[in-house]
Amino acid sequence: MRYVKITNEKIYDFLERLKNYGKLYAPVKISDKFYDRKEIEDVREIAFEYIRTLMPAKKYFVSPTEKMFEIDIEKGEYKETLENIEPFVIFGMHACEIVGLRILDGVYLDKYPDIYYKRKRDAGIIVGLSCLPDEYCFCNLTRTDFVDVGFDLFLHELPDGYLVRVGSPNGHKIVDENTDLFEEVDKNDIDAFRAFEEKRQEMFKWEGSFDNMRYILELTMEDEVWDEEVEKCFGCGNCTNTCPTCRCYDVQDIPDIDGKKAKRIRFWDSCQFRGHGLVAGGHNFRGTKRDRFLNRYICKNAYFYGLGTSYCVGCGNCTYFCPANIDYLKNLMKIRSMTEVKNG
Amino acid sequence: MSLKIGVHGLTSCYGCQLKMASVKEIINIARNFDIKYWYMISSKGEIEHVDIAFVEGSVTTKEDERELKIIRENADILVAVGSCAIHGGVQGILFGEEYEKAFKEVYGDKKIEYEAEISHPIKNFVEVDYNLPGCPPEEDEIIYYLATFALGSYPEEKDYPVCSECRRNGYPCVLIEKNDCCLGPLTVAGCNARCLKYGISCIGCRGALEEIAWFDSLAKTFKEKNMGEEYVKSRMEIFGKQYEKMEEMLKKVFENED
Repeated sequence: MRYVKITNEKIYDFLERLKNYGKLYAPVKISDKFYDRKEIEDVREIAFEYIRTLMPAKKYFVSPTEKMFEIDIEKGEYKETLENIEPFVIFGMHACEIVGLRILDGVYLDKYPDIYYKRKRDAGIIVGLSCLPDEYCFCNLTRTDFVDVGFDLFLHELPDGYLVRVGSPNGHKIVDENTDLFEEVDKNDIDAFRAFEEKRQEMFKWEGSFDNMRYILELTMEDEVWDEEVEKCFGCGNCTNTCPTCRCYDVQDIPDIDGKKAKRIRFWDSCQFRGHGLVAGGHNFRGTKRDRFLNRYICKNAYFYGLGTSYCVGCGNCTYFCPANIDYLKNLMKIRSMTEVKNG
Repeated sequence: MSLKIGVHGLTSCYGCQLKMASVKEIINIARNFDIKYWYMISSKGEIEHVDIAFVEGSVTTKEDERELKIIRENADILVAVGSCAIHGGVQGILFGEEYEKAFKEVYGDKKIEYEAEISHPIKNFVEVDYNLPGCPPEEDEIIYYLATFALGSYPEEKDYPVCSECRRNGYPCVLIEKNDCCLGPLTVAGCNARCLKYGISCIGCRGALEEIAWFDSLAKTFKEKNMGEEYVKSRMEIFGKQYEKMEEMLKKVFENED
């Protein structure tokens, strides 16, 4: 892998130049407590310190709502609506979210690629950014705290700038076309990089492995630990909507008033909603709140063969954004009988 | 052949009809449907057989009840429109003894022609085929319902809460951030989280989700945020008073001191 360095003095120039490669999206502070990614006009608005965004970066690849087809009812024809997708750059994705995106790739870009997803994925440049965990993070347990692929550039914080890993042909292109911004990495930088990684590992609150979580969960679904947690749940779907890897969508046909044309749309669905498990004939595979609640735990901890990790990337979004204060990680720890090792 | 429709108002502010009458595509509705009865638009017309009757308003008088039954007898499909028709509306907040007391306070012993009774959702008197929620309903949903009927299909009612649209739009959650008494988690989506767009917490005007509005779970969280029973109840009651299990659910949370 190629490594270069960019100093703090040049970082805003770099961000400005990223706009040459597409519309720039990056995290900004949107309210007292929350960050979200927005299109960036002024690069000094970018919140480098953010830990998580209200909406995961998946929103740029799987739109919250999008049109799929235009349907001509009279002729009985339809055509896919493939809107023009401009190139774009997502700055500041953390390792967990990049793994999340690779999980989405595994689902959407299989033998029958999802054209809407693929076109956006092809148009997007990913610039990663290192981070320090807060009390909600547990990517060390899900083995998603470091990425080796899935980004074009990845910036690691140094005292006076960033060590940049170049991860793709696009990444090389950006570095090569802007050599005035970058310099070689020296020994001090490598020491600083090592020290950062070490400090980061020490900040995680938990140690251990989640690899067998799925099976423990399946064996403890009747456990009374769940009763109280299910009771707390509003079924609002915040956990799945803020999850970087939840990807269920619903599809609906919307006819025009004259009945001649219609459009087919799809939008984010959630397994926490009653309609998610409802099928023709009125049967519901997840008829109770408990069914729906546990479904998420089982699904997130299933094994994704493409990466050899679970579908959960340990970002902590579902806990942080749960209005009912349901602590996903603590619940798993209770079921696993794991205990906290450090205070963080 | 175009579908015959009727639009009717029982006890309500007539806002749902007004919304239906003022949608951008009203001309196309008039072109594509045979409007047999719509008092707000024309005083002509009598209740006759229609394919679809849209009924807004709650039943609060004997007259309402009588009219509703005639509407039902003459309609193949009946759609309850808006919170009054679906849930009894804000006027449904007075129930049982509270109602008697309030009635006495306002009217004393005076004899009045249309004696008001407790406000009921129309499903308490007739069979309802579909609900078109809102206070008033949203333009896109009005069109969607009409258009699906016109195709010989039927509308898919939203069965998930306002939170879903709030998240899809990326609005900050006021329940988490400001500890607001937001009723989004209980409330039928469809408004595209309009109030949350302006940081105003949801008051539940579209009505609680049938059977999956967890008043108890939400109240428990509000209680943990130091909101009192009276406050939480008064807010949930505005549009949720007639939700069968609400009282019981709130009691369970607030009586259980721990």
